[in-house]
Amino acid sequence: MLPRRIYQFLIIFLLGIAVLFAVKYLFGLSDYVIPSPADLRDTLAAVYKHYGADVASTLSVAIIGQVVSIFLALMVGILGRQTTWFGSFIKVAAYNVQAYPIVAIAPIIFILFGDGFFSRLLIAAMICYFPILLSVLGIMSEPVKEIEHFYRVTGRMRWQLEVKIRAFENLNKLTTVISGSATLAMAGTIVAEFIAANAGIGYSIRIALYQSDLSKILVALFLIGITLAIYQGLLEAAGRMIGKGVTVTR
Amino acid sequence: MKKIWTGFLFVILLTAAQFLPAGLLAAEGGKEQLTYRLKWLFNVSVMGDLYAGEMGFFEGANLDVTVKEGGPERDAIRELELGYADFGVASADQVIRALSKGSPVVVLAQLFQVNPLQWIYRPDRVEITQVKDLKAKTVGVTFGGNDETIMRTLLASQGLSEGDVRIYSVRYDYTPFYRRKADLWPVYVNSQGPIISWKLKRAGERVAFFDPSAHGVKFVANSVVTSVRMAREHPDTVKRFMQALLQGWEAAFKPENSKAALEVLSKYDRDTPRPILEKQLAMTRKLVKPDDSVDIGTFDREAWQQTERIMLEQQQIKAPVGVDKVLIQF
Repeated sequence: MLPRRIYQFLIIFLLGIAVLFAVKYLFGLSDYVIPSPADLRDTLAAVYKHYGADVASTLSVAIIGQVVSIFLALMVGILGRQTTWFGSFIKVAAYNVQAYPIVAIAPIIFILFGDGFFSRLLIAAMICYFPILLSVLGIMSEPVKEIEHFYRVTGRMRWQLEVKIRAFENLNKLTTVISGSATLAMAGTIVAEFIAANAGIGYSIRIALYQSDLSKILVALFLIGITLAIYQGLLEAAGRMIGKGVTVTR
Repeated sequence: MKKIWTGFLFVILLTAAQFLPAGLLAAEGGKEQLTYRLKWLFNVSVMGDLYAGEMGFFEGANLDVTVKEGGPERDAIRELELGYADFGVASADQVIRALSKGSPVVVLAQLFQVNPLQWIYRPDRVEITQVKDLKAKTVGVTFGGNDETIMRTLLASQGLSEGDVRIYSVRYDYTPFYRRKADLWPVYVNSQGPIISWKLKRAGERVAFFDPSAHGVKFVANSVVTSVRMAREHPDTVKRFMQALLQGWEAAFKPENSKAALEVLSKYDRDTPRPILEKQLAMTRKLVKPDDSVDIGTFDREAWQQTERIMLEQQQIKAPVGVDKVLIQF
């Protein structure tokens, strides 16, 4: 699965680059608009170490942000699954927070926490958590009637048991959502770095944009894509292992 | 079924129209339709461009010009090459970088004689009369931005290294300066300068500006550009456009037209209070027309050469581009 993720990404990226080069040579555009293959190669050779370290820094924040957002989404999802006033209040609060554009909230975050690690983490988690929350709410609000009925009529149903039943019965969905949210966590971290941090690949992309250097941006995109493909592949593999473990236990 | 196909065709035609190159469509009344992409958002730095459009200077030259806002993600030179714009505004470093990568661009006028990019500071806290006074100060710098290049050049000109100052990475808001985490902060003196000065004045603080050009570093700012093809194939259009544009700029900064200029400006920049706009206008006048004998649009060739030299020294370009050759006064 992991090698397949990587070569699928390579196919997509190379197709994208091929389209760019086709446009460049078809319309006779200069290297300023679309860099030449030689320019791209030279840039890759010049910045791959520096950008590689930046991507690693971004990924580390993204992973922590993803863990935080999964935890947060599970908490809110579990609390919000109930059809009580409190459950509805939690849902409304979660939806409202998401309605604010992150670029509007960012200045407040930077005033409170500065432009270091914590701000990047918080913004990444904020961008990542909502789609997870929606899935968790969907899963947790849907009763697994055939199993839950037995516990309810025997009076043994507790909320912990309800959550466990619903989670285990929807394990595949949950692992797919978590694996998919890796992309959002990475995107969230890059947005945070682009807006205001002073580290990470988002920050390097901002500098490249200031310098109108598309070849640097393409190199950054390549490194982000390949890193994400590996990370997602690993998450999927872990999801499958957990799934197998659950099946064996049953 | 026929209706569906008609609707489908309409959508396709409408979509295709979006991709037509700029300037291809002829406006009503036989006026030539042109697109002019600015470097930044509508504010006092594009006063003359707005004035030329609003007060009928383009119309008088038989031109129908769409003036489009710029922004951080916009690059007028790229748009010229892609055919999305006919004219644009770009900074000198953008022009030089584009030339170094083979972009067919020419410069038609230099709008700012003095670069508006300066550093704001609190004179009660630090005293900056010469470059050496920057030593041991915390200086805000946007990594990758013009201000980084200018600051590096300033420091090098006095034998100072980066280790002699504390560099503070600048982001888009001024909180670190307000909170005194940085002693000097880069600002556009004509647009942001009056706003920040006003805010700090209300808090009982005085501000001053550190101008790199007063210390020998002349880094050219906004200029009007077009493609080599446009200049070669449509010299008459270029001439009419430039005449109308520069007449607009000259008129906008005539003291007797101040009221009209402010009306135009407040129409486009609604969020800035009128007293601030007045200050911005006065400040911009000093930068685009520092001397009555200098026509707006005049090239400071020495400054262009210096800008190229600085970029070469800082390895932002690999080889000289001979920027002097693309400065064409129409």
